[in-house]
Amino acid sequence: MEQSSLVEWMATAVTSSCELDDFESVVRLHWSRIFRFALASLRDRHAAETLTQDCFFRAYKARDRFRGEASVSTWLMQIAVNQVRDHLRDRRLQFWKRARQTAVDVTAAAGWIADAGATPETAALLKEQVQAVWDATGSLSERQRTVFLLRFVEDLDVLEIAAATGLKEGTVKIHLFRALQAVRKRIRKTK
Amino acid sequence: MIEHLSAEQISQWIIGDRPLELRQHVAECAECRAELGQLESALAQFRTAMREPASSVPPPAWHHPEPRSAPWFSWPRLVLIATALLVLVAVPVTWKARNHEQALRAQAAQTALADSRLLESVDAEISQAVPQPMEPLVTLATWNSNSTEQNQKTQRQ
Repeated sequence: MEQSSLVEWMATAVTSSCELDDFESVVRLHWSRIFRFALASLRDRHAAETLTQDCFFRAYKARDRFRGEASVSTWLMQIAVNQVRDHLRDRRLQFWKRARQTAVDVTAAAGWIADAGATPETAALLKEQVQAVWDATGSLSERQRTVFLLRFVEDLDVLEIAAATGLKEGTVKIHLFRALQAVRKRIRKTK
Repeated sequence: MIEHLSAEQISQWIIGDRPLELRQHVAECAECRAELGQLESALAQFRTAMREPASSVPPPAWHHPEPRSAPWFSWPRLVLIATALLVLVAVPVTWKARNHEQALRAQAAQTALADSRLLESVDAEISQAVPQPMEPLVTLATWNSNSTEQNQKTQRQ
């Protein structure tokens, strides 16, 4: 490692470690992002809230082991990704619990967005498109959906997604390609 | 010159991997531009739609979790309890056994003393030639035999 990059890495590590000292601020800063990812992945508000709380609780317990190799944001997202995976695996076994009372209705939000100054036709089209993407992500595999959400909802780049999921860069791209193809197919059907 | 973007090239474009050849084609092909525009618009709307419900949930107040008390069941605690129970049971049993042993020893000592006394008296009795009440007769008999022997000696002489 070159001296300058070593210094940069050490500075990042120290900054990140200091950031964790004030954990209340960490929660305030990153809560929405983790909750949003959990909500989009699980599609259940109650489950997403529980998972987000658990994610921060785990992070708090493991904060001494955080070495600053990634940013706090990426580290928290790693924990959330693992928790979503575990949750979905558990739920697969408990198939009788699939009826969700607190399921998210994304079309309500889509309708609200489309109402902002759009013609009724455009609003309807936008709502349909959002619904199509939502339906398409529901049909993706757990890994494809995670990668897709991290890219197109959380705006992470391929390297950041690789760090958060533990996948290789090439594998992330393959999952993204497949997810996008599925989304495109679903959008075409709305035409 | 490529005819239209393939599914893979469209994905490549969307994730931001845009080589010169793709850029040239998109610049010249209205159909591909429309296709990309529609997909980008749908993804942007989806992102906004996903962010809305999440932003309406404020983060809860963070309370530092209290260090959890040690669970009731743990192996060291179990071993400690087992040892205490063992001591509680073993001490009275050992104490009782030791007392019992001491009592037995004392009893054995007493018996041995009594036995030795009995033996002594038996020995004393056995060592006597005649019972104690008849002892004067033995003296008399001894005296008679002695005088008879003396008479016989004088007659021979």
